[in-house]
Amino acid sequence: MTMTETNPGPAPDSGQTWSRYGATGAATRHATLLAVLVFLGYSLHFLNVDLSRLLGTFSGVWRVVSDRYYPPEIAYVANAGYLGAILDTLQMSFLGGFIGVVCAIPLAWFSAWNVTPSRRILFPLGRLGVISSRAIHETIWTILFVSILGFGMLAGVSALTMFCIGFAGKLFADEIEAVDMGPVEAMRSAGASDLQVFVWAVVPQVRVAFTGIAIYTWDVAFRAATVVGFFGGGGMGWYLKRNIQQLENTKVSAIILSIIAMVLIAEVFSGWVRARVNRAK
Amino acid sequence: MTVLKVRDLRIRYADNQPEILKGISFDVEDSDFMAIIGPSGAGKSTLIRCINRLVEPTSGSIELFGQDVLALKGTALRQLRRNVGMIFQEFNLINRMSVMDNVLSGRLGYTGNLRSLFRAFPQSDISRALALLDRVGLSDHVNKRADELSGGQRQRVGIARALMQQPKLLLLDEPTSALDPKISREVMGLIREIASELRVPALCNIHDVQLAKESCNRIIGLQDGYKKFDGETGTLRDRDLEEIYAMEVL
Repeated sequence: MTMTETNPGPAPDSGQTWSRYGATGAATRHATLLAVLVFLGYSLHFLNVDLSRLLGTFSGVWRVVSDRYYPPEIAYVANAGYLGAILDTLQMSFLGGFIGVVCAIPLAWFSAWNVTPSRRILFPLGRLGVISSRAIHETIWTILFVSILGFGMLAGVSALTMFCIGFAGKLFADEIEAVDMGPVEAMRSAGASDLQVFVWAVVPQVRVAFTGIAIYTWDVAFRAATVVGFFGGGGMGWYLKRNIQQLENTKVSAIILSIIAMVLIAEVFSGWVRARVNRAK
Repeated sequence: MTVLKVRDLRIRYADNQPEILKGISFDVEDSDFMAIIGPSGAGKSTLIRCINRLVEPTSGSIELFGQDVLALKGTALRQLRRNVGMIFQEFNLINRMSVMDNVLSGRLGYTGNLRSLFRAFPQSDISRALALLDRVGLSDHVNKRADELSGGQRQRVGIARALMQQPKLLLLDEPTSALDPKISREVMGLIREIASELRVPALCNIHDVQLAKESCNRIIGLQDGYKKFDGETGTLRDRDLEEIYAMEVL
């Protein structure tokens, strides 16, 4: 036997064919892809995007920035009033994040299908609570609370609280639904109440993840706090709005730079703490 | 005295699915250490979970300590459950808690919500937990985290936790299947010993037929949701085993 001879081996040609998706499956997949592409083309057409204008914006942006916003008035953001506003924003995001996370824990417990204390009543209520706080954007929450409570930090904190309930509640519930059900079953079989099952079998499993999510929530809330301020919630965003209205462009650019810097610091800090928490298994 | 009476127990998880248990009836006496044997998928785990209502049967009746189990709700159900200790194949310990806390968690059914929130167990529970840990040979591991222990040690924690309930019946769901043959026999022997010391009857799922014959006085054979054998261990013949495991042999 020479090396060039092929060995048919134990797998002879059976003459049978096989297709991965079958006729209807393949048709559905192709039709779906086609529909997505058609909708994309239609949306672009509808927007009437003019390619030459789009390319022109880059030079336009450069001209506007260099003429009006440069140099940023750094001295403005270094004064006591504005530094106080940064502190306000920090406090607002911390308070909103804290209250939001505390409210989100019971809501997440209610709205986790596997360990909810009542599938008929509390589960839909918990889901409704989380979904409705998510459904409304934080700017709209701010506008709502400003119209009820007036301008300032209280409205800002309330809006951020609602935002954090929706944000953390969803992530907490997902985490609870992914726990190992073994300990849950063991606690139930020992005659534990629903609260005891949650505290003894669920919390130890999600504690680390919850801490990470809580820190992440604060980080996201801090970013949202600048926008909340813009709509009347107080803090850095409020300064931004005032200066935009007064056409103080160099001050605006300084404020935007300060926001970018603060958000970066918050993100790096939260990432560092979360990495440390996750190591503490 | 008869502790447990099961009659015509049937269960299906959803309307469009086949029945898992197809009319099972049997009794457990207060002196029994009873094995339930059968191939995978015969319904052993489902059957044992119906007894303390971790799984809801579709029809039939279960009478435990003279109480109609299927009629119980809320607090009454929890009070029944705390009288039934359960030991699991995968131990089901709380990995991030200490051995001591795991054993104490067996008392949750007797402890109020507020006390259990702060893990403030009465002194009597603490001394009982330490005595049980001593009995299962884990005195040196009281403060270790549960996930630092070996498989055999973890199951000993599971045994101590179940005994914390001061159970009147033990449900054992494949208690040794996750352990190697030598440790399996040690753990089974320990459960057997303690059950007879405390005069607690037991109902034990097990797929190791040899181990079942060694440790149990009565055997029930399940196959595909039907009871195929019910009798003293000595009366189990090879012919019965062939029938119980027919599906696998084919």
